[in-house]
Amino acid sequence: MAEPQPFRFFECFALIRLTGRRAKDILELLEIIKLVSKGSIFHHMHQYFIKPSIVPPEFPNDFAGWVADSLGEENLAEGLANLNPFEFENIEDIRSELVRIVTEHLKNYPMPRPCQSGREFMFNEGITIVLPTDIVAATLHDFARALREVDQSSIYFHFYEARLRLGKERDDFSQYVDECLECPGLASRIKSMDPYMYSTEVLREKIIRLIEEVL
Amino acid sequence: MRGIADYKGIAEQGDLRAIEAMAEKLKGRTMLHVNSTAEGGGVAELLQRIVPLLKDLGLDVRWEVMKGTKPFFEVTKAVHNSLQGKGVHITKEMWDEYEAVNRENAERIRPDADFVVIHDPQPALFIDYKKRGVWLWRCHIDISGPDRVTWYFLKNIVERYDGSIFSVSNFAQSVSIPQFMMQPSIDPLADKNIELSEEEVRRVFERHNVPTDKPILLQVSRFDPFKDPLGVIEAYRLVKKYHDCRLVLAGGTATDDPEGERVLKEVLDKAGADPDIHILLLPPFSDKEVNALQRGSTIVLQKSTREGFGLVVAEALWKKKPVIGGDVGGIPLQIVEGVTGYLVHSVEGAAYRIRQLLMNPDVAKRMGEAAKEHIRKNFLVTRNIRNYLAIWLSMEHRDEKVIYI
Repeated sequence: MAEPQPFRFFECFALIRLTGRRAKDILELLEIIKLVSKGSIFHHMHQYFIKPSIVPPEFPNDFAGWVADSLGEENLAEGLANLNPFEFENIEDIRSELVRIVTEHLKNYPMPRPCQSGREFMFNEGITIVLPTDIVAATLHDFARALREVDQSSIYFHFYEARLRLGKERDDFSQYVDECLECPGLASRIKSMDPYMYSTEVLREKIIRLIEEVL
Repeated sequence: MRGIADYKGIAEQGDLRAIEAMAEKLKGRTMLHVNSTAEGGGVAELLQRIVPLLKDLGLDVRWEVMKGTKPFFEVTKAVHNSLQGKGVHITKEMWDEYEAVNRENAERIRPDADFVVIHDPQPALFIDYKKRGVWLWRCHIDISGPDRVTWYFLKNIVERYDGSIFSVSNFAQSVSIPQFMMQPSIDPLADKNIELSEEEVRRVFERHNVPTDKPILLQVSRFDPFKDPLGVIEAYRLVKKYHDCRLVLAGGTATDDPEGERVLKEVLDKAGADPDIHILLLPPFSDKEVNALQRGSTIVLQKSTREGFGLVVAEALWKKKPVIGGDVGGIPLQIVEGVTGYLVHSVEGAAYRIRQLLMNPDVAKRMGEAAKEHIRKNFLVTRNIRNYLAIWLSMEHRDEKVIYI
């Protein structure tokens, strides 16, 4: 049998671009969510996973965090936090879901006060700069070793960025494990993980554990 | 000369790898920075640090400083104040002076490079002399609430650039060119931040006659009403009822600043004869002194009521000191509430948080550890180098949202 193509790990970082658009209340947030770029929606749904932080924020996306912290609207924050981007095939569908959640809230609850001056939601977007690493793996054993070694941004890139932003059907890891290492069962278990419940470091550990179970 | 390799083991490894990979792509290309002062002030300080590092990476970097007339700097100070919302009307004569000095300087400097970074409004009109390359306007000041007329005129200049860079998201404006975010940074190897021995720290406290027999609260800032030194003294007095401690207020003499002198007098009056309050007037470039004072303190305060970025907070956090700061400007980006320090909104709030930390030295120690890591991950000079190179490359791959190096 031919040797499988090795998997080359990439790492990345986000360069932040500012749109200059700001929302001070829920209505403005809603209006701007409807018209900002897909990149902006992606950025605010995912920067939690790539931004270096010493403590993870309470909510996994910026919209939920802002609504809770700056508007004190916990109810809406919970609804937004519960949105799982992996259930959607593309960013436009995530945008529609955000609009639906906020609109529903506005139908059912009185409009909350605007945020304090200086606490507006600033719409940004990220440019992902991707760098090759020297780390490659051609066997499942190597793959688990490499996963321990790579930077956390590599986990982010191959798992989160690959699926939604690059428009792939699944993350790079499960695709490689399935197509090149011919372990469809393991691939399926990796693919069905819910990464929005984990930091990238925890996700790394979970994937390694799944591989070790097979080994 | 210091090189990027000196930051191994200090800065994020990922940042260093990214810097090396991007610099390899840009090797031999030309970069030009233009600002208005060679020394003094945050911009000159930053350029003094990053230009040698960029050269070390193989880039052909030039840093040029404008030469201005007194009237020109009066105009640019008025523009600066006006952009920060202190409504100053800029007259036609003032704009004419601004244009003339920009023209003279551009003819002298000949701004020609692959990547040109023009810092702040003073040399912004250099854009009239663009021949080639990618030009960015780097705004270091808070223009979140500018005088609309002044901003209208400046915006017409700025929009002729290829892109712009701001320090904080909400400093951004609605403009037609790409805007990037780049937070200010500190250099861990500069005199201001470099490791000092206990002996060096002790000597600085001795030299300023500050005994180290009690916990020390420190605020390093100009004697400026927006830094609220009087509020700091009031907070110290509230704390003093429960904890025997000292307060050190360290700042510049500011002899050319009448308002500074007035505030200093108020501070001295308020301090009265309290032997545990130490007002230190430090000469310019007292970097190692400030470093030692921060390292020898128990808690650092930055109780500003208005602030630009407030990088002095990052300096203290880097030295593993929890910081209690005003919830303004860039301070909330540096103080992670309850993790690297506390954000406060009043004298009472400051006093309460100081008491809390003095009562719980273990918590203060844990915060200090987290504080250093927060700065290491987000606010070191290597992050600025990384971002400059990334912005440059992204401007050469416009419309690409994912760029492979």
